[in-house]
Amino acid sequence: MLKIGIVGCGKIADSHAAQIGRIPDCEIVGVCDREPLMARQLYERFPIRQHFGDLSELLEKSRPDVIHITTPPQSHFEIARLCLESGCHVYVEKPFTLCEDDARRLIDLANEKGLKLTAGHDHQFSHAARRMRALAESGFLGGAPVHMESYYCYEMGASDYAGALLGDKKHWVRRLPGKLLHNIISHGIARIAEFLSGAAPQVIAHGFTSPFLKNLGENEIIDELRVIVCDEEYRTAYFTFSSQMRPALHQFRLYGPKNGLMLDLHQETLIKLRGVRYKSYVEKFVPPVTMAAQYCGNLKTNLGSFLANDFHMKSGMKYLIESFYRSIREDTPLPISYREILLTARIMDDIFAHLDSQATQIRHQGERSIQAAVSVVEA
Amino acid sequence: MQNTNTIDSSGNGRYSQAESWLFDSEEPILITGASGFIGTRLVKNLLDKGFRNLRCLTRFSSKASKLEALRDHPGDSRIQLITGNLLSREDCAAATGNVRLIFHLAAGRGEKSVPDAYMNSVVATRNLLEASAEHRCLRRFVNVSSFAVYSNRQKPEGSLLDESCSIESQPELCGDAYSFAKIKQDEIVADCCSRFSIPYVIVRPGYVIGPGNPAITGRVGIGTFGIFMHLGGFNQLPITYVDNCAEAIALAGLKTGIEGQAFNIVDDDLPSSWQFLRSYKRSVRSFKSIYVPHWLSYTGCYLWERYSTWSEGQLEPVFNRRLWHRYWKRTRYSNRKLKTELGWAPKIGMAEGLKRYFESCGAGRV
Repeated sequence: MLKIGIVGCGKIADSHAAQIGRIPDCEIVGVCDREPLMARQLYERFPIRQHFGDLSELLEKSRPDVIHITTPPQSHFEIARLCLESGCHVYVEKPFTLCEDDARRLIDLANEKGLKLTAGHDHQFSHAARRMRALAESGFLGGAPVHMESYYCYEMGASDYAGALLGDKKHWVRRLPGKLLHNIISHGIARIAEFLSGAAPQVIAHGFTSPFLKNLGENEIIDELRVIVCDEEYRTAYFTFSSQMRPALHQFRLYGPKNGLMLDLHQETLIKLRGVRYKSYVEKFVPPVTMAAQYCGNLKTNLGSFLANDFHMKSGMKYLIESFYRSIREDTPLPISYREILLTARIMDDIFAHLDSQATQIRHQGERSIQAAVSVVEA
Repeated sequence: MQNTNTIDSSGNGRYSQAESWLFDSEEPILITGASGFIGTRLVKNLLDKGFRNLRCLTRFSSKASKLEALRDHPGDSRIQLITGNLLSREDCAAATGNVRLIFHLAAGRGEKSVPDAYMNSVVATRNLLEASAEHRCLRRFVNVSSFAVYSNRQKPEGSLLDESCSIESQPELCGDAYSFAKIKQDEIVADCCSRFSIPYVIVRPGYVIGPGNPAITGRVGIGTFGIFMHLGGFNQLPITYVDNCAEAIALAGLKTGIEGQAFNIVDDDLPSSWQFLRSYKRSVRSFKSIYVPHWLSYTGCYLWERYSTWSEGQLEPVFNRRLWHRYWKRTRYSNRKLKTELGWAPKIGMAEGLKRYFESCGAGRV
């Protein structure tokens, strides 16, 4: 029986507790939040042995084998370090850490202690995402990926989270180096990182505050982001984060030298994109039919999964947790490689560095314009 | 404490008779959630009663234009607008300084997740009470709760739901973040007020109607599945017009000798779900609806609940028997305690209240 602890009892902790409860041979022995009431409410609603207001108490009294860290990202590094020092394997919710350096230090510490780490990139383990990975590994693309497009959109204004963030100038998300982007984009970036090679891709980013937010008086939060990534082997990727485009896509498109794949996370659909074109008018008539057949196939698969009681909203999280526990128990490879965790962190660091320099440039331009205007007036 | 309010009679609904209140008109009163649907009416109600030292706490994002407008209220009232977050102990300390009476209207509403609703209701309320205890001057805490805390599962159909009705003992099984948070909020109020010796009163409004709340209460039915399913049938609806509700809340803060008591707030002449829906369609907009008889809605809730358990949450238990009992079981409601112990009477009759509500829905004045 694997003993599990959860640190941080906010919204996402509910999903962790629910999915852990569905996995055999494990038990949540304790939960902890620095707000004891929050720890208590989680304890009252799920089968959990104890609740604490202090991490060291949880580690000492419940002695968990694995800790799930579901706190705000600022605290991930320190909590994960303490848990590793105490001999626990650690599942860290996304974003893994605030920067690549911190991620590397945790991984080094885990290796040194003979413990395991994973990041909460659970979207990569949904049914359709797993089918996509299997197809890519089977050679469907016809070689290494050539290009990727990752869309990760967010309906600002349609969520309580956005309301809380926009309404609170002291919200913890605003204190992240990349603010809103830092807390959200890692799912979309990790999808790209999985299929990139090397460790130091080139990153170009452009971000801005949407007119929608500006009209609400918000100038601090960047909610529109476009990124170009190119690795050492010239595999390229576009990443789009938007709070305004509709539909608010959660898609990933992977193109190889022969064929492509299109994954839709919301719809749980995976579409094969044929690389070879039919001749003349056949191209106008046959592909729509084959696409329709593929969507029907996805419908059948999704219905089948639902009827088989294997289509929970957080099925990707369950799969990831289960794979992580198996890796611990049987010493099998981790579901997410450390290379991928580090690469995700590095790309995010580069994006925020670009946005910082973009903001500095704009500030300097503004200052120069003011100086120029003053000079004209003085002249 | 005797306070004579002799405000001129020109103001709409203002008090002209002498009233015996627990507080002087100059004593500081804090209203949390003051810019909300009920909050703005409560502030106006207190001003009408002659209370002049009001501190209105709103969230950063709140649009406080209605409160700003109340600053022009006749008389020498001092409305202090402060923004803050009840999850911040510093903000709570700043808001509660010298305050003698708190009307706590702010709550986690609309959140789908239990932790969010819990944090904004329970943790926020605890922070507010602890900050008040530090100042040692709070003489009454009015907690605005909800009908959602009651359980009428053990009562037969058609029973009366009043203040003696039991509170849901297993809120985690309600499948409803709001109910869970409100039940726990009532518990934390009782606990903190007992620890800090703070006198408190709980008010539980039914569904509050009026300009600013255009939604049809789920007690009438739901449109989740593409067509509006009318589930209420001939059930009485526990509704209250927003001004009447504000009046009841104000009285709960001001009347003497009611410490530790709870009051349900519903108006007189409650309409049935059928009557409400028919009037809504006639006055606001016409749409298709199908009536789902009680036996069928109960069966649906039962099956949904069973499937949710069996499937380990593949469908969340958003429909369940507890919910059915609270929302769609035939139940009667009473405002007798409100009238006898607070001397409350609805200022706006049901017909007029519904008329104003439907007009505002139709005009989209939200």
